[in-house]
Amino acid sequence: MSEDKQPVSRRQFLNYTLTGVGGFMAAGIMISPLRMAIDPVLQQGEGESDFTNVQLAEGDITNEPQRVDWEVEQVDGWYESTVSKTAWVYKDDNGDIVALSPICTHLGCVVSWEGSEDHPERFYCPCHDGLYYKDGVNVEGTPPTAPLPVYEHKIENGMLFLGKSQPRGEA
Amino acid sequence: MYTMKWVKHDLQHYVQEKEYIDTIIIPLLPFQLSNESNLEKDALQNELLSVFNRELEKELTGRVLLAPDYHYLASADKQVELERLDTWVNDIQTQPFPFVFFITSDAEWKKIEQKLGGNLLWLPFIATESMKPSEVQSAVRTQVKEVTGLIRSYWKG
Repeated sequence: MSEDKQPVSRRQFLNYTLTGVGGFMAAGIMISPLRMAIDPVLQQGEGESDFTNVQLAEGDITNEPQRVDWEVEQVDGWYESTVSKTAWVYKDDNGDIVALSPICTHLGCVVSWEGSEDHPERFYCPCHDGLYYKDGVNVEGTPPTAPLPVYEHKIENGMLFLGKSQPRGEA
Repeated sequence: MYTMKWVKHDLQHYVQEKEYIDTIIIPLLPFQLSNESNLEKDALQNELLSVFNRELEKELTGRVLLAPDYHYLASADKQVELERLDTWVNDIQTQPFPFVFFITSDAEWKKIEQKLGGNLLWLPFIATESMKPSEVQSAVRTQVKEVTGLIRSYWKG
């Protein structure tokens, strides 16, 4: 065994291996904090896809508010769950689509269009007799103090997509 | 997201808005592992009742508090359970809750309904494994609508 055939000495070989293994270990330790540090950057694109197809064709939306129910996956920390959502959808006098959240701004019950026979043409909250006009504005003198929130919406391929609901200020 | 369950966040809300929340719903859920031929059926009833309770509570959040589930052995003596349940109701009644509802799909409660310290809502669920989740959802929703109407009729007096 001559020196030319084995240019790597025992010392060099050990140095190389230890550096290599050490490098892998360091990379292993560094990768998680790095991933966490840049995580928000990677997630930004997902904000755009918050719209859900609620299985309602644009043509089926009338002047009469109708209830649509759909489901979204919600991640709350480590806990993933399916949340069912509801909206009241109709076209206003200008033909614009309106999607109202049914969550009563008083204490959070679910309101219904003409939910009470005594109050036609109103959204009605069964819990404490709260009333809203068709545009979602609360009727003065009933418990709610703010209008119903409005969902962001868009039409794609003739189907209605709903996004987040936005609260509105006091009337 | 509004809810009204026996969890810290909701109860903060409850304490503030107590005057508006006058109704409590207590789910009665039987449990057993001894009767193997009925295991799946019983578990399915429990699951459906839980889904139902969640949906019902969501509809009526502002006036209804959903109590934690009351579990009992399916084979247990109902007289004994009745006494234990009364201690729950007595504790609950230290707060103003004029409307107490029990929700169950266990038919045995129906027989001793009058002895309960509240109104019994007995809901036999008709669902099979062949039903799709979406079909179960819509079936449950229809039932929620019916029961919401029933609870409202109690409120109207």
